[in-house]
Amino acid sequence: MTTAPAQAPAIELVNAARWYGNVVAVNDITFSLGPGITGLLGPNGAGKTTLLHMLAGFLAPSAGTVRVLGLNPSRDPSVYRRIGLVPERESVYGFLTGFEYVRFNARLQGMRDADAASRVAIERVGLQDAAHRAIGTYSKGMRQRAKVAGALVHDPQVLLLDEPFNGMDPRQRLAMMDLLGEMAAAGRTILFSSHILEEVERIGTEILVIVAGRLAASGDFRAIRALMTDRPHMITIRSSDDRRLAVTLMSDPAVFAVTLHDSELAVQTAHLSAFRRIIATASRTAGVRLTEVSPADESLESVFDYLVHR
Amino acid sequence: MIHGSPRSPILALPEIFRVTVRQLLGRRRTLLLLLLAALPLLLALVFRLFDRIDVQRYSNSVFDGVLIAIVLPLTAVLFGTGAFGAELDEGTALYLLAKPLPRWAVVLSKAMAAAALTLLLTVGSILAGALVEVIPAGEMGVRATEAYVGATVVGALCYVAVFVAVSMFTRRALVIGIGYTLIWEGLLSSLLPGIANLSIRQYALGAGDWFVQLGREPARLPPETSFLLSVVVVVVALVLATWRLMRFELPGGTD
Repeated sequence: MTTAPAQAPAIELVNAARWYGNVVAVNDITFSLGPGITGLLGPNGAGKTTLLHMLAGFLAPSAGTVRVLGLNPSRDPSVYRRIGLVPERESVYGFLTGFEYVRFNARLQGMRDADAASRVAIERVGLQDAAHRAIGTYSKGMRQRAKVAGALVHDPQVLLLDEPFNGMDPRQRLAMMDLLGEMAAAGRTILFSSHILEEVERIGTEILVIVAGRLAASGDFRAIRALMTDRPHMITIRSSDDRRLAVTLMSDPAVFAVTLHDSELAVQTAHLSAFRRIIATASRTAGVRLTEVSPADESLESVFDYLVHR
Repeated sequence: MIHGSPRSPILALPEIFRVTVRQLLGRRRTLLLLLLAALPLLLALVFRLFDRIDVQRYSNSVFDGVLIAIVLPLTAVLFGTGAFGAELDEGTALYLLAKPLPRWAVVLSKAMAAAALTLLLTVGSILAGALVEVIPAGEMGVRATEAYVGATVVGALCYVAVFVAVSMFTRRALVIGIGYTLIWEGLLSSLLPGIANLSIRQYALGAGDWFVQLGREPARLPPETSFLLSVVVVVVALVLATWRLMRFELPGGTD
């Protein structure tokens, strides 16, 4: 009696790295993905596009291995029969109509009925009304949808999308998210990159967080989101008497640290929502007038930075 | 969503050819090439205006001095470097390369598109000029036309293959192409006869001599050598271009 072999992951990176001279774009990343949607989250310049290009076979790893559907994508073009790629760059053949562009993709995939497949793909991205207009006349969101239609026309097993929601309006985003959700439910492996937390939150149940070329976190979105929310927050305060306010704040257990600068206070707390009440009470108790209270580190980059260094 | 079982993607290569032709024709510089290609016809009309049919003089000054020396290399360089260079510059090459196609087939269809347009323009230009000024001279005129068409075909194929390949290695292919045409072929090959073996223009003229001797003296390379070197150049250029495409990587970055 033999047992069926465990199904190989659709995407697999083992200690994958990519550098250009002295610049390390992707640094020793290991992960594997099966069917479903995974969000690749990270600030601009983190290495997301490099990673996607490595998976798409357009950048060979400087070290480690990259496998897609068991094949090395940078050496074996036959893997493209089962991969769909939506690059970040907006450029598309502007002189082709949307339909011609999608059919071009279908024909190069060797599809027998490229016309029928193209019509289905155009319909799936909701581009029917503009299908016979030149892509050069499309809005950014329409171009994105045309690119997605071209990438999924051959019903790929793996879909790689680099910032796919760029330029789409909220309605188009929702429709695209639904489409990706349907494909994932049908057993496809979808990896999309984004630097916008809310985009990933909506559709990515699994996420990979990449910062400065390194994998900072991976796994269930909610667990990682909780880590992001519970991190220490830095708040900058200006008041009529910073020194007196600092003494009052230090007595509150929700406050980790207070640093007194020339014209402001820097306060660290783990409970951002509770802090609003704390600062109001503290200012009354100390008899101090607040002139400014602002979070100092709410950028996504600082959230990612926390994840890397925690 | 799959519509029927997939067939060999090579059968879809005419699609790359068609899209490349449309891409090249859509560029503004093609208009410039059209004007350039009209030169032999305009000059033929000027010759006729003065009521002179002088096959030798017209052929040497216009076909050789203008068409083979300037219009042909410039057209081939622009189409050859644009066939892939534009896709690499604009980023559309990704759509082409993320397909299960053998790389040699992509290179071949791109080169064929560039060669077809170069031939259309340059052979069309010769025929238009010849109809006015050369063919009316009788059999000698017909043979001279055949010779220049032959020379143009050989030259076009060589230039296009070489500059498709060059565009795969550098983004300065156009500058290199124009430099090669003006400095290497225009200047150095006339000063240093020894470098004829490395001049596509000399291959073209040598091939033309196979039909009829084009100039007052035979070309620097005999026709057989010209044909042989042309085949070697085309094959080596296409192999190099394919080799390069198989190792294609996107430009570096940190995102």
